[in-house]
Amino acid sequence: MALTDDVKTLIEEALPGSTVEVVDEGGGDHLRVDVVASQFEGLGLIDQHRLVKNAVRERSDTGELHSLSIKTSVPD
Amino acid sequence: MAMTDAALKDKIEELIRDNRILLFMKGTPDSPACGNSMRAINVLESYGVEYAALDVLPALQPLREVTGEIADWTTFPQLYVNGQLVGGADIVEEMDESGELGEMLGAERSEPAPQSAKQELQADDPQQSPPLQIER
Repeated sequence: MALTDDVKTLIEEALPGSTVEVVDEGGGDHLRVDVVASQFEGLGLIDQHRLVKNAVRERSDTGELHSLSIKTSVPD
Repeated sequence: MAMTDAALKDKIEELIRDNRILLFMKGTPDSPACGNSMRAINVLESYGVEYAALDVLPALQPLREVTGEIADWTTFPQLYVNGQLVGGADIVEEMDESGELGEMLGAERSEPAPQSAKQELQADDPQQSPPLQIER
């Protein structure tokens, strides 16, 4: 599975009901994600990012995922 | 003798306590080794504030573990202000744009040219790198 699909699945599993868009910014291991999730409601930016980062932590720790740029928001 | 992880954690907590603005980064402010560290540096330097920077590359894995324990965050850069983790490059940029970062730093962004702020900083050289020795 391409890392982009893998990352999308991991985040969607960690944040059920979220909308996740993954963009490859280069080399297949520098990704940007745009995550819209109701779970972010009431959380500060840092906790929102923690939820996303922890969902893909395994991929980051192995170095498979070199860089993940994150944009979070709450659904309208 | 190599620093144990417990000693490393103590040292990192001490740095976080002792430096009002502290950036854990890959490489140095003059020579960032990663695009995200460079993004954080660019924002910080646009405020012309004094900050401490620690290059994590000499002990990347142990520092991932230690920062994971301290603040549940294992990627770099990491910006700390007043002893609190602010975030990585994305959050730093987002809070810069929203004005929250300036408030937190107690500084105004020197507009319009970040480049000139950087030159000033280099000329004055107020930036301090904490003397962390990591033997591994």
